[in-house]
Amino acid sequence: MKGWSLLVMGFALQIAFIVRWWKEVEVAPLGLRLLIALGVLLLGVGLARVAAQFAHARNPLLGFTPAALTLLALLVTAEALLRAYQVPPGLVPTPTRVVATLHGVRDVLLQDAYQTVLKEALVGYLIGCSLGVLTAFLVSRYLFLERGFLPYATLFSSIPIVALAPVLVKMVGIDWPSKAAICAITVYFPVVVNTFRGLTEVSPMSLDLMRSYAASEVQQYRWLRLPNALPFIFNALKLGTTLAMIGAIVGEFFGANGQGLGFRIQIEAGRFGFDIVWAAIIVASAVGIAWYGLVAWVERRLTGWHVSFRNG
Amino acid sequence: MRISPNLLPMLVVALVVLALYWPIMYLVNIPVAQRALDTGAALPCQTAFECASQLRSPVLPSPQQLWGGFVSLMFPLDSPNAIPLNAAVTALETLVGLLLATLVGLFFAVGIVASRAFERALLPWIVASQTVPIIAIAPMLVVVLGQYGVQGWIPKAIIAAYIAFFPITIGIAKGLQSPDPLALDLMKTYNAGSWQTYLKLRFPASVPYLFTAFKVAMTAALIGAIVAEISTISFQGIGKMLAENSRASDVVAMWVIMLASAALGIFLVAMVGWLERLLTPWRRAQVAPRPKARVAGREVGA
Repeated sequence: MKGWSLLVMGFALQIAFIVRWWKEVEVAPLGLRLLIALGVLLLGVGLARVAAQFAHARNPLLGFTPAALTLLALLVTAEALLRAYQVPPGLVPTPTRVVATLHGVRDVLLQDAYQTVLKEALVGYLIGCSLGVLTAFLVSRYLFLERGFLPYATLFSSIPIVALAPVLVKMVGIDWPSKAAICAITVYFPVVVNTFRGLTEVSPMSLDLMRSYAASEVQQYRWLRLPNALPFIFNALKLGTTLAMIGAIVGEFFGANGQGLGFRIQIEAGRFGFDIVWAAIIVASAVGIAWYGLVAWVERRLTGWHVSFRNG
Repeated sequence: MRISPNLLPMLVVALVVLALYWPIMYLVNIPVAQRALDTGAALPCQTAFECASQLRSPVLPSPQQLWGGFVSLMFPLDSPNAIPLNAAVTALETLVGLLLATLVGLFFAVGIVASRAFERALLPWIVASQTVPIIAIAPMLVVVLGQYGVQGWIPKAIIAAYIAFFPITIGIAKGLQSPDPLALDLMKTYNAGSWQTYLKLRFPASVPYLFTAFKVAMTAALIGAIVAEISTISFQGIGKMLAENSRASDVVAMWVIMLASAALGIFLVAMVGWLERLLTPWRRAQVAPRPKARVAGREVGA
């Protein structure tokens, strides 16, 4: 219980300072800054002790408590330090300011998110994933394609997509289809490589069994290869959500029609509107995590039988 | 040395793509050329077909144009506006970033492996940050670092490090946890301290994982470096060339730079693979003699 009291004292110190210095415009005197340092120390030691108590928690919600407390402690400390040293909000905005901005410009950001996520990232993601799975089926079926095409697909994963973005934006135009194309291309190759691995890394015994049942090739794919590939496909689909978001945001750095999270970040960073930049990053992160979670949820529904979930 | 069975099919695929490129290029460029002719612009060509391979901003540049652009951007080799010097600068930023990321990643990975409390408090955020478009932070970081006097190639390396940090941390942590429990028990029976266990068992065991992580992190760091170059005033680097030519709408140059940075990415990742073979020869020795399992008449994992 000692950890908790330290933690509470640390939080109390920081919050008391933030409230005290809420309206001040001067750098806090040395004594107060030392108090903040004491608060940081208390928070650190308290967190370490509390986290140790939760180290073997089985419940995922309980297991998450230390992480949540860490974030909270970091935010409170950042707020206190930024206020104590009077860092100009145009440079590093305080967390409360970011939250207020997030609330203030939510309509604009929602519109940006609609453009970036639903039009660009999602369309590109769906196209890239379906084409990728289709290609992987073909590649796994024909040895020639496996030898001739797959090495290129692996090679493509080491290409920086940012270099692709300006060319595609020029080629397709600055509206959303160009960004969807970038997302589709970045998602496509990992999906091909992973799905291919899933379709081919089947146990030879199972294949022999299928053959002794005189299973046709379609049946072989339906009952053996596809189920075997599902965990691999979902790995690629999860990875793809992040890649699609990055693709859409980076694509917008090279030209957008006045909307989009990447466009907003680029523009506002250029004119020191960092509270809006942070708000946009929060929105992008929230969307990214939610999307990833959605795919993970579908995965658990479809491949709940897989080994990796049995002990969860 | 054995010639890879992939070589011939790969060449065929490359030739087919090249052979298809010409007709597709004409197909998409001729309408553009026709429109340019119709407006009566002074073009050095008469028919739309002729013009299609000489457009100022083609949809797809013709191979002649690409070659011309390549020659003019490649030479002289030491020109500040040519690709070699800029690519070297970007590569340097990427490598320094990777080094930084490895140092920080090592610290975090040891923390995660050594202390459950540390893992509980930080790992969820390290994992969550992988599902987040981290690249979005780059433009802001550049400006903020610039305000505090960090300029030139250093902020780009920091951003590259920042982006490469996550895969490396996870990779090292996995590697540190990879030793066989029996081997760990053996260390205990030898009365080895935790420091010795790390030095003699865990760190060597994590090297293969480190290289796998490096391959992912290298591409990520390269992307970070290029984005950082784009989002700030830079005087050197692939990103600066991209931004410049994007503003100038020089489509051919953009294609050439795209191909060059693709080559740079492939080269850097190949370097990691080469280093891996050099530094972990025991892995190849373990893998090589095993006969490959054959599935439906083809090699698994080929």
